[in-house]
Amino acid sequence: MRDKPYFAVIYMFILTAFFSALLIGFSRMTRQRVQMNEQLNFEWAVVQAFPKIQYQNNQQIHQIFTKQFAKDEQIGAYLYQKDGRLQGYAVPFSGKGFWDKIEGVIGIAADKKTITGVSFYEQKETPGLGARIDEDEFRRQFIGKTIEDGPKPIGIVPSAQTLAENQVHAVTGATQTSIRLEALMNQDIRAWLDAVEKKEVAP
Amino acid sequence: MNNIGSEVWLAMVTCFAAVFTNNILLTTFLGMCPFTSVSREVKTAAGLGGAVVFVMTFTTVLNWLAYKYVLIPLELEFFRFILFIIIIAAFVQFVEMVIDRYSPKLYQSLGIFLPLITVNCAILGASLFMVIRQYSFIVTIGYGFGSGVGWFLAILAMAGIRQRLNESRVPEGLRGPGITLIIAGLMALAFIGFTGVLN
Amino acid sequence: MIPTKPTKEIMLDGLWRDNPIFRQILGICSTLAITNVVLNTAVMCISLTLVTALSCLTVSFLRNWTPRNIRMMVQTLIIAFYVIIVDLILKAYWPQMSRNLGPFVGLIITNCIVMGRCEAFAGSNRPLPSFMDGLFNGIGYSFMLLAISVVRELLGMGTILGIAMPYFSTPYWDKWIIMVMPPGAFFALASIIWLCRSMKRKGAKS
Repeated sequence: MRDKPYFAVIYMFILTAFFSALLIGFSRMTRQRVQMNEQLNFEWAVVQAFPKIQYQNNQQIHQIFTKQFAKDEQIGAYLYQKDGRLQGYAVPFSGKGFWDKIEGVIGIAADKKTITGVSFYEQKETPGLGARIDEDEFRRQFIGKTIEDGPKPIGIVPSAQTLAENQVHAVTGATQTSIRLEALMNQDIRAWLDAVEKKEVAP
Repeated sequence: MNNIGSEVWLAMVTCFAAVFTNNILLTTFLGMCPFTSVSREVKTAAGLGGAVVFVMTFTTVLNWLAYKYVLIPLELEFFRFILFIIIIAAFVQFVEMVIDRYSPKLYQSLGIFLPLITVNCAILGASLFMVIRQYSFIVTIGYGFGSGVGWFLAILAMAGIRQRLNESRVPEGLRGPGITLIIAGLMALAFIGFTGVLN
Repeated sequence: MIPTKPTKEIMLDGLWRDNPIFRQILGICSTLAITNVVLNTAVMCISLTLVTALSCLTVSFLRNWTPRNIRMMVQTLIIAFYVIIVDLILKAYWPQMSRNLGPFVGLIITNCIVMGRCEAFAGSNRPLPSFMDGLFNGIGYSFMLLAISVVRELLGMGTILGIAMPYFSTPYWDKWIIMVMPPGAFFALASIIWLCRSMKRKGAKS
């Protein structure tokens, strides 16, 4: 029977069906978890942009996010509300870094000026170099800085330079990552500022 | 209209990046096996490189369509590994048949490289990157073509250097793959220098 | 039937005598890119070893029924099956790692070692020896890649598995940034191949 030409076809068909069935079963089992992971990754970044928020575990992050954050499509950002008052804006930013995409969130207080924090949920920069933008040392610099209402809301400058109110020091040696990060953050912050202004003029 | 214009511009930038700064061979090391084994002569390297450009451009586009219009609606995204390989293999087979039928001359120079391409990880890699980075259709065309050209450039340069290398004295343990890798490292170093251009 | 090699021989061949990396220069493509961090490399190597061993086992089980002309298709299907399972497990239970590895888990399918072992050994041997052959080729491969990643992370970042190392993480050591960038992988791999080939030659002479 093995020599018959149709045997190969039937054999391949059965084998494919068997393995596919197993895979579909397995992926159904994990599907929910995978989707939750993806969602949580972003929610975690949003919550991280407001370091004052206290949480213990992932479940709490999800609860805080669904209760206190609401997307405002018009300005392309998430509004952070607590105790019935607007606490701030979570503005997502993304763009191409040195090697691959950089995606993150910047938290801005209700005065639309003061930065509450910055976090990243996707970056593949050079480990030990560009990737250090994700370390506390770099991210903490942003807290308390104010954005400027100009073409360059924030600045990432070499570490020898003295800082203006809207500037932070770059990671030493990671020039390319810093240049791009500055550009992509400014682009999305600028877009958010414009959208907010537009909304205020014509509510 | 403006939207399409910016898409095309983005595709061109992506294409440039795929050739130089994010060269698929020199930064992610995909397609190393044929790179070390087929880079002895400029002529064969150019043949293989040409075939890679052609196949990579078309398979990334085909895979993009298959992913968007078959796998996503069916919620079978994880099947992409199998489907992409089948599409690549089928495409290569199809091209082989067409070339054999209509241009025996081209078949003689290109045909022997086509079966090698099915197992070239760079081809599958480009398709997988395209999915992960969520490129749009137009950008995918730029990316597929750029990655192919990048691979072509790298293997051509390597073959040129290796031909000269035949006459030089290399330490015994380094001969063959060892020295090839060191040269590739130096090439990768040079290609990183292109990053400043993109700003 | 060809008499099967004793297990000890299979182990030795996979680990050293026919080591996939420096003897056969196979399958570096899909893994080299992530050897700049030891942890990523370790996860990748474990995945690859498991996929190789299990694929060899399955191919060997089916060897008497598989028609010869479609055996490549069958092998690809089996390998892809295990790779997808690994990919799904990582996505569900270790999302951070899944993101770090990106497309490279999927690329195990085109890794020449897996297919190479299935074709060269598992297709004509009994299941258990095939499993051992896949396992030890995987381990031989992992051991070389881990060596590369340790060199790269230590010289480039002064750490191993993220833990700061004495001397290398102090200001006395000027970090070789190039080692964690792509060119560093080429240099590290070339040096290791050089070292192992020279050692082997010496061993053969004496």
